[in-house]
Amino acid sequence: MSILEMRGICKAFSGVEVLKGVDLTIEKGEIHTILGENGAGKSTLMNILTGVLPMDRGSIVFDGQTIEHPTVPLTEKLGIAFVHQELNLFPTMKAYENLFLCKEYTNKFGMLKKRTMIERAQALFDEMGVQIDPIALVSDLSMGKKQLLEIAKALLFDAKLLILDEPTTALNNEEIDRLFEILRDLRGKGKSFIFISHKMPEIFSLCDRYTVLRNGEFVNQGNIADTDAEALARMMVGSSYVNSDIYRRRELGEEALGIQGLTGNGFSNVTLSAKKGEILALTGLQGSGSSEVMQAVFGSVPVDAGAITVFGRTLKRHGIHASMKAGISMLPSNRKENSVVPDMSIHENMFLSEHTLTGSRQHIFKKAEKKEYGEMKTLLNIKAADSENAVTSLSGGNQQKIFLARWLCTGGDIMLLDNPTQGIDVGSKAEIYQLILKLAETGKTILINTLEINEIQKMADRCAVFYDGKLLKILDHDEIDEHTVMMYSTNAVQAMEE
Amino acid sequence: MSERRAVSPLKALARFWSGYSFIVVFIVILVGYKVVNPSLTMAGVMNILRHSAVIGIMALGMGLVIITGQIDLSIGSMLAFVGGLTIIVFNMTNSVIVAAIAAVAIGALCGLLNGVLVGKAKMPAFIVTLATMLIFRSVVRYICYTVPVDISGGSNSLFKLLSSNSEWKAFFNFGNSKLIGLPLLIAVLACVEILLVCAFYRSRSSAKLAGGRVKIIYSVIQAIVIIAVIVFWKPILAFFSSKTIGILPMTGVFLIALTLLIVYITTSTKFGKQLYAVGSNERAARLSGINVDNTRIAVFVITGCLTGISAFLWIAMNASVDPATTGGSNEMYAIAAVVLGGISMAGGRGKCVGILFGVLSYTIIDKIIVAMKMNTLIQDGVKGAILIIVIIIQTMSPVIKEYFAAKKARRAIKS
Repeated sequence: MSILEMRGICKAFSGVEVLKGVDLTIEKGEIHTILGENGAGKSTLMNILTGVLPMDRGSIVFDGQTIEHPTVPLTEKLGIAFVHQELNLFPTMKAYENLFLCKEYTNKFGMLKKRTMIERAQALFDEMGVQIDPIALVSDLSMGKKQLLEIAKALLFDAKLLILDEPTTALNNEEIDRLFEILRDLRGKGKSFIFISHKMPEIFSLCDRYTVLRNGEFVNQGNIADTDAEALARMMVGSSYVNSDIYRRRELGEEALGIQGLTGNGFSNVTLSAKKGEILALTGLQGSGSSEVMQAVFGSVPVDAGAITVFGRTLKRHGIHASMKAGISMLPSNRKENSVVPDMSIHENMFLSEHTLTGSRQHIFKKAEKKEYGEMKTLLNIKAADSENAVTSLSGGNQQKIFLARWLCTGGDIMLLDNPTQGIDVGSKAEIYQLILKLAETGKTILINTLEINEIQKMADRCAVFYDGKLLKILDHDEIDEHTVMMYSTNAVQAMEE
Repeated sequence: MSERRAVSPLKALARFWSGYSFIVVFIVILVGYKVVNPSLTMAGVMNILRHSAVIGIMALGMGLVIITGQIDLSIGSMLAFVGGLTIIVFNMTNSVIVAAIAAVAIGALCGLLNGVLVGKAKMPAFIVTLATMLIFRSVVRYICYTVPVDISGGSNSLFKLLSSNSEWKAFFNFGNSKLIGLPLLIAVLACVEILLVCAFYRSRSSAKLAGGRVKIIYSVIQAIVIIAVIVFWKPILAFFSSKTIGILPMTGVFLIALTLLIVYITTSTKFGKQLYAVGSNERAARLSGINVDNTRIAVFVITGCLTGISAFLWIAMNASVDPATTGGSNEMYAIAAVVLGGISMAGGRGKCVGILFGVLSYTIIDKIIVAMKMNTLIQDGVKGAILIIVIIIQTMSPVIKEYFAAKKARRAIKS
């Protein structure tokens, strides 16, 4: 028996159709994934289901009950819970306070029954098999536990259908395994899940069935067991998808970037070097220090010891500006927090970094910048209607290209890319891989920090694996495969358990 | 189809309102002034500029500070502090130039103190400037009480320009002088030329008009202006020398010139863009290579300099500074003008030209209340009410829009 049936859902924003008659059926006790590129209509569909947005046409039947006009309180009452990508938790409050927020147990004088709530929370955590202290501050919990706390919040009030929007992006592998175990367990108890993710391996290890959307249209649905990643990816992007091996071996030049014995908070004694035109991947589990090393090279976190040389010249001063002057640029991770300047236009966002290097000439020559913008737009294949539009009007992939352009404008020879494909759809990812290879061919030295091994295989000449702040192993392109990289990572996992 | 056509002017107004609400508010208030005071002359309008200058120039600095996501509560006290010290400098040196330099320099130092505490010591701007507000006010009163009367010029509770100084008259005249005749003509021509050049570059960079045609139109307009001035120079000069057209007060010239400068900085310089970036997303700004600390310090120093200029103009207009009352609540008026001018208190958004209109609107409200022979004690009440009304319209407009859109959609479903 299906718990949810959505039929012919239509939605238009100011005349633009975002959903064109989408169907979605969720069975009771299954984990169902909705696949689609960014902009395919996944989030709009979920917002309609939870009552955040009104639908134009269509019907929703949940648990045998027809919902005419879904509203947030109504869907919550019926048992649909949305676990958002950005967690809706209050970090300065305790775990149990978050759990019971607005639904506190009180006695007849309106006083909180704290002990009852703590006991109830503890019982729930035990039932889920989660180790969270109910009186711990949420800000002290790890990302994985915060995610589990959100799920607990939904379960506490008897949610029947949980929507998980990219729940694994901020988690490390161990936390992901734990989360999946719990989800499987809950599935056994009859809960249903909608699981939205861009990561194929997760989908295949966890989900039962899939629905694919493309450009607001329903494409297909079926059992995960009957399909493979290639087929799904092709459904998502249509005919344009090619998963060919895009890596080509290139001639490398002299040493461009050298790091000698770099030590700081979260990494120690790291020695590395990268040649002109080389793509070097850094990888490791969350907290292994690979991202921190990158930030230290860019000068955005302090270093205690060690030296950084660029084309044979040692950097005398440490800091973002000094690194930028030497030709180092960095695309930071967490695009929304670290790259997007939401109140500024696409154009203004692109030239922000270039401006800081040419501060002696203060006047902005708009015409010259417009010309450069045009060049970048063709080079990076940016899809933007007008450069004066807000940068937030672009999709994630196009935003990331704008920020890549922000650094290309500075003319730096060394590019550090921290998790460049985070939260980007399959199509844009492939484009960004091509771009990075193209840039390396033009002589840029590129360091990529990523946790996705297939990404490394596609692009990197070499791969540096980090563990606990130390550089453990450098693999050549031919040695890079899931198993080898994981071996060093597993090493790290074992060490953590000891 | 006919229905849509009927809505479009309203829609156009709504769009204009969302970007330039401050101009609408200004025009409404100005018309209101003319209604309650039918004998309003051009000179009366010019007087608005004169009375807006001191707060207006301070508000420009406040606008920059707010764009970077900070606040400066100290500028009112700073006005009294800088003003008092500037009068001492003038009384001791008998030089207007030295006094002017001193005013800007002392203002800059006061701003630097705020800036370093906010930018380098990472203290919240609200706390820092609250503290310096108390400090500036108290210290200037103490100084006034302590220094001999022949230096403070007035008494132990009033700074006054020493009338025994030979330059006294020149100083006071400067503050109350008006631009008339040839200087005014030159100023007007300069403004026309600047506007023409701006319009020229604007339209040339937008692809709608072909570059050649814009160039011709531009040249023709410029030729007409030049020929008109050359041919009719006598009547034009006589016109600008007559008192009937109203005459630009010197303080108003400062206000307009500084507004233009700040607008230029915020729209067309790299520093200006960085202010918006810092106010919009500080982390992203830092990781883009912007030195956030120095940007913060710079805006506070600029605000200090502008407050110094305001203090100088205040002295030139009034010849005295009362350390206890001068500049009282000015920081609040400045914030109100900035907000009325459409700049977001959250930082990162807004046009600086709005500040000028915000300040002018508030000055006109004062004048309306005087013209209506109401008690001036109610001035702040009216100003506060207008601020609330304008902000309500601004914040409610998306809600109202959504309501009508939803209603329309529902009607469409039914039919």
